[in-house]
Amino acid sequence: MQKVLKKKELNNFIKELMSNYEIIAPVKNGKFEIIKDPSNMELGKITIVPAKEFFLPEGETLIEFKGKKVIKTHPENKKRIIFGMRKCDLNAVKIMDSIIKDENYLSRRKNTILMGIFCEHPDEYCFCNSMELEDYYDLLFYPEDDKYYISVGSEKGKKLVAKLPEAKKEIIRIIKNFKRVPDKSIEKHYRNKIWESDANRCLSCAACTINCPTCTCFEIYDELSPDLKNGTRKRGAASCQLKSFSTVAGGKAFRNSRLARFKQFVYHKIVYYKKRNGRYMCVGCGRCLRACPPKIDWTDTINILTGMKNHDAKRNRVSAKKV
Amino acid sequence: MMQKETGYLPKRYNIKSVKEMTSDVKLLRVSSKINPLPGQFIEVSIPGIGECPLASCSFNKDYVDILLRNAGNTTSEIFKLKAGDKIYIRGPYGKGFPLETCGKDILLAAGGTGIAPVTSFIEYIEKNRKKFGKITIYFGFRNKDYILLKDKILMWKKKFNIRLTLDQKSPGYLNGFINQLIEKDHPNVENSVAFICGPEIMMKAITKSLNSLGMKNNKIFWSMERRMECGFGNCGRCTIQDVYVCENGPVFRYDFIKPRIENEEHANEVKE
Repeated sequence: MQKVLKKKELNNFIKELMSNYEIIAPVKNGKFEIIKDPSNMELGKITIVPAKEFFLPEGETLIEFKGKKVIKTHPENKKRIIFGMRKCDLNAVKIMDSIIKDENYLSRRKNTILMGIFCEHPDEYCFCNSMELEDYYDLLFYPEDDKYYISVGSEKGKKLVAKLPEAKKEIIRIIKNFKRVPDKSIEKHYRNKIWESDANRCLSCAACTINCPTCTCFEIYDELSPDLKNGTRKRGAASCQLKSFSTVAGGKAFRNSRLARFKQFVYHKIVYYKKRNGRYMCVGCGRCLRACPPKIDWTDTINILTGMKNHDAKRNRVSAKKV
Repeated sequence: MMQKETGYLPKRYNIKSVKEMTSDVKLLRVSSKINPLPGQFIEVSIPGIGECPLASCSFNKDYVDILLRNAGNTTSEIFKLKAGDKIYIRGPYGKGFPLETCGKDILLAAGGTGIAPVTSFIEYIEKNRKKFGKITIYFGFRNKDYILLKDKILMWKKKFNIRLTLDQKSPGYLNGFINQLIEKDHPNVENSVAFICGPEIMMKAITKSLNSLGMKNNKIFWSMERRMECGFGNCGRCTIQDVYVCENGPVFRYDFIKPRIENEEHANEVKE
């Protein structure tokens, strides 16, 4: 049974949660932030930057060095709620769960409650319906008229809405995507020349991987204190679009060409991860397409490869012009 | 199987001895009881400098040998360490050489520092000699100043069929690449399994020679080098298409890894 909350009560509801939780929500500048005032929330649009930094913070300390001693550091154990994640972002968390297994991540994940919101306004870059997403949330808010109808996905979520009244009807809606990638069988097309036309425009800038909610590859690096006696071993984001990603001691880069790196991104999302985990690693949020400076659209390329060009690629191009 | 290790905390060990092999290669003996299986790798580090994945060069319950080439940011610092210094290690990680190949004849081939994982396997064979058939070992080095683990090779000569060849001509040594020597030797490979470690271009040439002798790709194993940063399949740095070298390897059956390597190489060959 769904719970119901009047839209005008939302800010008060969030405020109440603040006494026990740190609240993270989308704000005006297109990213998720820790908020102190619920009126700063911006729930209407998909954020530019995903919420992955709250699970894998940039430059987090993994271990500390004190003289000759190495010490394991424990991540902060703040109780958090991330509000305003859409279906794409929620699924991205599930995918991260399947990849990252270390204590720091697991502890943050355990202490985070996912309070999602139904995506009313997907834009021309969104294609989540093509990526076979699942329901994955602690709570999910469906806006309808002047109310939110809240689906409960877990015991953790149930406790948060225990005081709210039960809904008299059930509201379940389906996201209306503009874009489609119906056929994703591209494994056999790995060597197709068409990828070169994409890769030739690629700037190797890594905007796609930085903004991707499921790109979690990282590097481990050390930092020393100025007196050279103490230090830390840290973790930061790494991007497969950069040559250094696959470079080993001595200087050999195993993915030396832009083509190899560009295909790594697309094939990891669509083929490689699926082989290991049975689902796509892409959640169809379209952030890589929005962020790409030369506006490379690999979903168009897939549609051309799979003979779905007329189905959708044309439509996408019209929409791209509109932007 | 052991429970999957997913921590970043290394342990501190004492360096027992350091032997200079060549101008840019040293052998560090570290007192440690971690005893990696043949072909497994460890993450070796100096606090404040960094970590690097290195193959274990021994199979011994009391120490780990690390064959180190001065090649990168971290290795150049480790290179400065002396006996009695401390070194930090986590691991071992990965799947090593398949030890279920017991009962077979074994052909080993190593080029340059690729001798490290091969050494761990040879030492395993020494300790379990009865489990294996005929042992043939090929070593290839640039020239006679670059021969690594000379003492060990001399010792193995008494036990195994050792074939050592140098890229550059030198009196008293065979000359040429390993693949050329294999073709000349024409060993009987009917009941054999081959394990190779070295630069990929060398492994490819040797594989081709073995194929020409009638050895199938599913009897050939490659020990691969990639950038293993975490060691347990999280960081994504060492992947070859859908395969994690740290977790699924670093030793792969060649018929399994071949299409993946070839696809990425194909993508690398494009003109930019």
